Amino acid sequence: MSTTTTLLSVHGLEVRYGPALALSGVSFDVPEKGALAVLGANGAGKSTLARTLSGLVPPVAGRVAFAGRDITAASPSAVRRAGLVHLPEGRGVFPGLTVHENLRMALTAAGAERAGAMDRAFTIFPVLAERRRQRAGTLSGGEQQMLGLARALMISPRLVIADELSLGLAPTLVDVVFESLERARAAGAAIIMIEQFAHRALEFADRCLVLQRGTVAWSGPAGAAGDEVLRHYLGAAETA
Amino acid sequence: MLQYVLAGLALGAIYAIASASLVVTYASSGVFNFAFGAMAFSVARFYYFLHTENGWPITAAAAVSLGMFAPALGALLYWLLFRHLLLRPPLIKIVATIGVSVALPPAVDLVFGKLPNTTAPGLAPVPLTVFHPFGATVTMDQVVNYLGLAVVLVVGVTVLRFTDAGLRVRAMVDSAALSGLSGVNASRVSLGVWAATTTLAGLAGILVAPTAGLSTDGMTYLMAAAFAAVVAARLTNLPAAVLAALAMGVFTTVVQRYLDPESALSAQIVPSIPFGFMLLFLLYYALRGRVRDEPAGGALDRAIRVEDGGAARTAPRAATPAGSPHGHRSLPTVAKAAGLVAVAALPLVLDEYWAGLAVTGLALSLVLLSYTLATGEGGMIWLCQITFAGLGALTAAELATTYGWHPLAAVAAGALPVVVLGVVIGLLTLKLGDLYVALVTLTFGLLVQTLVFTRDRFYNYGQGVAMPRPGFAEDDRVFAYLTLAAFALIALFIVNFRRSTAGLAMAAVRWSEDGARTVGLSIVRTKLLVSAMAACIAAVGGGFLAMNAQAAMLDTYNVFGGLVWLAVLVTIGSRSPVAALVAGLGFHFLPGVFQTHLPSAWAEVPVLLFGVGAIMVAKDPDGVLAMHARQLRGLVDRWARHRPAASPAPLAATASASEPTGGERP
Repeated sequence: MSTTTTLLSVHGLEVRYGPALALSGVSFDVPEKGALAVLGANGAGKSTLARTLSGLVPPVAGRVAFAGRDITAASPSAVRRAGLVHLPEGRGVFPGLTVHENLRMALTAAGAERAGAMDRAFTIFPVLAERRRQRAGTLSGGEQQMLGLARALMISPRLVIADELSLGLAPTLVDVVFESLERARAAGAAIIMIEQFAHRALEFADRCLVLQRGTVAWSGPAGAAGDEVLRHYLGAAETA
Repeated sequence: MLQYVLAGLALGAIYAIASASLVVTYASSGVFNFAFGAMAFSVARFYYFLHTENGWPITAAAAVSLGMFAPALGALLYWLLFRHLLLRPPLIKIVATIGVSVALPPAVDLVFGKLPNTTAPGLAPVPLTVFHPFGATVTMDQVVNYLGLAVVLVVGVTVLRFTDAGLRVRAMVDSAALSGLSGVNASRVSLGVWAATTTLAGLAGILVAPTAGLSTDGMTYLMAAAFAAVVAARLTNLPAAVLAALAMGVFTTVVQRYLDPESALSAQIVPSIPFGFMLLFLLYYALRGRVRDEPAGGALDRAIRVEDGGAARTAPRAATPAGSPHGHRSLPTVAKAAGLVAVAALPLVLDEYWAGLAVTGLALSLVLLSYTLATGEGGMIWLCQITFAGLGALTAAELATTYGWHPLAAVAAGALPVVVLGVVIGLLTLKLGDLYVALVTLTFGLLVQTLVFTRDRFYNYGQGVAMPRPGFAEDDRVFAYLTLAAFALIALFIVNFRRSTAGLAMAAVRWSEDGARTVGLSIVRTKLLVSAMAACIAAVGGGFLAMNAQAAMLDTYNVFGGLVWLAVLVTIGSRSPVAALVAGLGFHFLPGVFQTHLPSAWAEVPVLLFGVGAIMVAKDPDGVLAMHARQLRGLVDRWARHRPAASPAPLAATASASEPTGGERP
């Protein structure tokens, strides 16, 4: 399939919440600098997949290798330190901390990248500089999302998992989200994008994975995932 | 006046340090530290060991106990216990910390020796220097208290506001999951927090020792008082906790100015001020609306919080895994019946001493049944069942002795006022979160203890109020059967209640209040019913304990003793009447074994074991009994599996025929 080296390799992943099976037998690869769109209806296991990759939810079975290292049972902090940034669903900010403190937290695992990172964040999102002393919880939804995105953009991660970042945002801000992820990709990061705007996600990505009730129902090149696939797995309403 | 304010500030400073410690641990780890008193005692005892017993200078002793011993203790407890508590339900968190509070002091006593008396120096050199600012008197001890709080505040604010470590702690409070995603090593931060807060506990313990005494009781009182400030601060607001603690200290001493120091009333009012404070705040919160105490954290934290495996939360246990051939809920019925027969035989085969212990244990298991109902089944963490038992015992004894009622009638009638109290408390706590309920009931217990149980008329120099046994049950054996009959009756009632419509409603309310409301169940009625029944059972149990001892001895009903009862019960299993029986008997048999068969130095070991047992609950929240039942069931299952069984064919993944093409099959 891809000639470049594999960055993330997932094999036979199985996740349970208590007795409920959330994911089973999920396998896929993401090459360096690749972009994978993960689609699926509500409850298909998309967010669970993201949380499992970043170490928040331990898998019951399967193997996850990232940059040649086994990170299956690694803690979230170890996964982050390996270069994987997970931008969670909802607002991925610390509401009680100021904007500046939020950005400082984003640099916890940055190491040598720390220098200039703060300025980079403020250059990309000038509004954050204006509000640097304000508590993140008092920002508007769009500003919070920018703060969340800045976590990935102020440094150079190897893989960014973006979980429904455009959810509930105004159209112009949705553009900001896509532009930001494009920027991260241009900087050399691979992207796993979980998205409600299926068509935009497919335009963005080069491969596509459709989850259905916790299993991989379809996978293939993003270009091949036409309307037929989307309608079949997501239903007409979800393909907007 | 200035005199009183200065003294009050000194007292408030200690409260403030203590409440700061409690707030920081709760906010960052979600654990409300009921072991605070024990931890304070341990560090203060170590300081005493270095300074007084080994003649170390104050600075060296303080530096080693606060700089090395306390952080090491905190780190050790974190590693052994607190790290396992993260996702546990509130009951398990409370019980496990109670376990520490029970186990730690005897362990410390075993190592350093029991103190013959509790007077201990603080951090100021003795004899104390006395200052006279503006005509008031201030001792060096008080100055040290001010300094201690000042140092704690300055260092605390600096660390939390201006350092990376402090930022990480605050980030953890906001969202542990997101901090993890940011690369924060959560266990390292928690370890640091526990080490730091144990140091604060130790400091508070050393500072309070000169006035309250170097004893678990003194430290426990300090902890209970600090609880009040913490509640005023809604568990997580650090500045509010410090201010409330200072205000409480000043109020406590200023009030004494207007009280006659000789009167019995002031001897009761002064110690109950913190509890009055807490009750006021809780009432205020309760009247203002729902007060929840969900652990800190954002949406992400809630999303990944997997269902706890704990009994205390996973209420309706009717759902046995489908297809499991042995759907027993706890112990097999045969084992239960055999257990009852064995217990019934105890009074016949045992000699007088052991039979006596067996009867006391039986009476205790009656009281424990009220925990089974309220906490195990109802999910309400009530820490005052022992107080209900005490009040029941007291009323029954008064009726029987002063008014000459028949003892059994007195026990039954004595339960009535307690039921009313139970309903009132149930009403007050209706909208409060689990931890608040625990604290309200604990406070209520402490209030009753200081205001009622210590009255000379009832306390009677520890003798209590005499309580005769019924004429036909004077003999221990007959009384044992009477108690066993009462136990069987109530246990049967609980088991049947569980299966009744009202019982199902209780399970539904416990599982989800909103869900229960949507199917039209009355939360108020259900909770009040459980409260009333549990209070009634506790009071009757208290009456039996009194009949057994032939007096309502109020020392038996110490609130913190009740915490140990709860801890022992939860260790064995909080949901089955059999567990209550085992816990009650074990609670009295085990110390008996140690007393008769082992050297007296080991007398504290059973207490330590009870504590350790409660700590174990952190790892297996269902309790020992359920654990063994599970193992037993596993054996039976394995035996059954030897017989070939037709296993259902695995569900074939049926692919739909009209599958789109173009993709690669995974």
